[in-house]
Amino acid sequence: MNDSAVEVRIETPKRAVVDTPVKIDLRNVDFYYGSAPALRNVTFGVPANSVTAVIGPSGCGKSTLLRTINRIYELYPEQRAEGEIVIDGRNVLESRYPLSDLRRRVGMVFQKPTPFASSIRSNVAFGLSYYERLSKSEVDDRVEDALRQAALWDEVKDKLQHSALSLSGGQQQRLCIARTIAVKPEIVLLDEATSALDPISTAKIEELIQELRERYTILIVTHNMQQAARVSQRTGFFHLGELIEFGPTSEIFTNPREQRTRDYITGRYG
Amino acid sequence: MQQSREHTLKAFDEDLDRLRALISQMGGLAEHAIGEAMRCLMQRDVDGAQRVVADDKKLDRLEIETERQAVQLIALRSPMAGDLRDVVAALKISGVVERIGDYAKNVAKRVPLLENVGKIEPLSLLPEMARIATGMVHDVLDAFVERDAASAVAVCERDAAVDDFYDSVFRTLLTHMMENPHNIGQSAHLLFVAKNLERVGDHATNIAEMVYYAATGDHMADRPGKSPR
Repeated sequence: MNDSAVEVRIETPKRAVVDTPVKIDLRNVDFYYGSAPALRNVTFGVPANSVTAVIGPSGCGKSTLLRTINRIYELYPEQRAEGEIVIDGRNVLESRYPLSDLRRRVGMVFQKPTPFASSIRSNVAFGLSYYERLSKSEVDDRVEDALRQAALWDEVKDKLQHSALSLSGGQQQRLCIARTIAVKPEIVLLDEATSALDPISTAKIEELIQELRERYTILIVTHNMQQAARVSQRTGFFHLGELIEFGPTSEIFTNPREQRTRDYITGRYG
Repeated sequence: MQQSREHTLKAFDEDLDRLRALISQMGGLAEHAIGEAMRCLMQRDVDGAQRVVADDKKLDRLEIETERQAVQLIALRSPMAGDLRDVVAALKISGVVERIGDYAKNVAKRVPLLENVGKIEPLSLLPEMARIATGMVHDVLDAFVERDAASAVAVCERDAAVDDFYDSVFRTLLTHMMENPHNIGQSAHLLFVAKNLERVGDHATNIAEMVYYAATGDHMADRPGKSPR
C-alpha cells in the first residue's frame, strides 16, 4: 500500500497540548518536614497559560509541592525546601526573594472554601488594599471584574454587601477564586479545590479553570483522576515524594509509560 | 504481562474477565462456523449447512451483549490506560468476529448450490486454506485474552499464506472455467468461497492490530522494524 498517496486531514482537538514557555521551572527540589523528606529531587517545568494537574496517592507530596511553590511552609520553622523554583528567571526559594511579591504573583485556593466573615465585596477586595492604592470606584471595577472571571457576578451582583457566609459551598469556593484573581496573579494553585463540592459546582469550577487558563498558569492538585483528565493539558504523577511521570494528559491516561503510573490510574494500586 | 496485577476493586476485574470471555466465546463460535461450513461443503451436507446459517444468530446476539457490557463498563468503571484500550478493543473485535461469522454463513449458503460439484483440484485446496485462516482467528483471540502483542504480530505474518492460497485457487478456477463453460457457475461459487476465506485472514490481521494496540499502546504500523503488510 502506498501511504504517501493518501492524504488524511485530522483536525487538532481543542485540548491538544500546545507548547508554551515554562512559567515555573522546578529544579532538583527537595522538601523536608523536620528530617522526613516529602519531595525528592523534583524537576519539571510547568508551562505558562495551561492547566497542569498533579495526581498521586495520599502522602505522595502533591500538596507539599504547592506549599513549596508559594513558600507557605516558611510559617513552620522545622520545614525547609532545597533546590530551585525559578519563576520568570528568578529563584523564588531564595530568602531574599520578597514574600509579598511571591504571594501576589502566586495565588492559592484551598480544599475547603475560606471566606472571611465579612461582605462578599470586602472578601474580593481584601487583597487589593494590601497590594495597591485604589479609589473606591477602581476597587468596585476590580471586584466586578474578578467576580465575572470567577463566574459568580450574576449570582451576587445584587447582594455584594451580604455576608460571604450566606453563599453556598460552591459559591464560596468561586468567591475564593475571585479573591485570588482580584490581585492579578500570574499563577493560580488549586489544592483539591472542588473535593468538598457537589457535581454541579464542580463542573462550574472546572469550566472556570478552562477559561482562566488563557490568562494564568494553573497548577491543580486533585485526588480525582477524572478531574485531572477533564481539565488539564499536562499531568504529573507523584509517588512517595518523587515525580514518576510527567507528560501530556491524553498520554498519561491512555498510554502511561511507567508501571507505577499505570497501576495507579487503572486502580491497581497497593 | 504488564497488567498482571489485580485491581483494588475486585468487581472491576470480574467485569473485564467477563468481557474477555465473551470475545473468546464469539471466537470459538466463529471458528466452529467456518470449520463446519467447510466440512458441509466438502461432504455435501446440506442439512448441516442450514444449521451453520441458523447458528449465526448466536454470534449476532453475543455481539450485542459485548457492546452492552462494554458500554456499561465504561460508564460505571471509567477504565483508564490499558484497561480502556482493552475495552475499546473488545468492542471493535466483537464487530469483526461477527463479520467472520457472516463469511461462514455465506460459505454455508453456497453448499446446496455446489451439491453436485465433482472432485476438482481447487476444491482440494480450500480446506487447508480454511484451516490456516481459522487458526489465525483462534490464535489472535487467544492473544487478546493474554494481552500478548508478540503473538498478534505472529498471526499477521501468517496472512501471506492465506493470500497465496487464494491466488492459486483463483488461477486454477480460472483455468477450470476456460476449459469448459459449464464449469463457470460452480467455479464462480467456489471463487466466492475462496474470497470469503481470504477475507477471514484479513480480518484476523485487523484484530491482531487491535490486540497489539490494546496490549502496548502503540500502533503496529509504527513499531520499529517492519510494517505489518
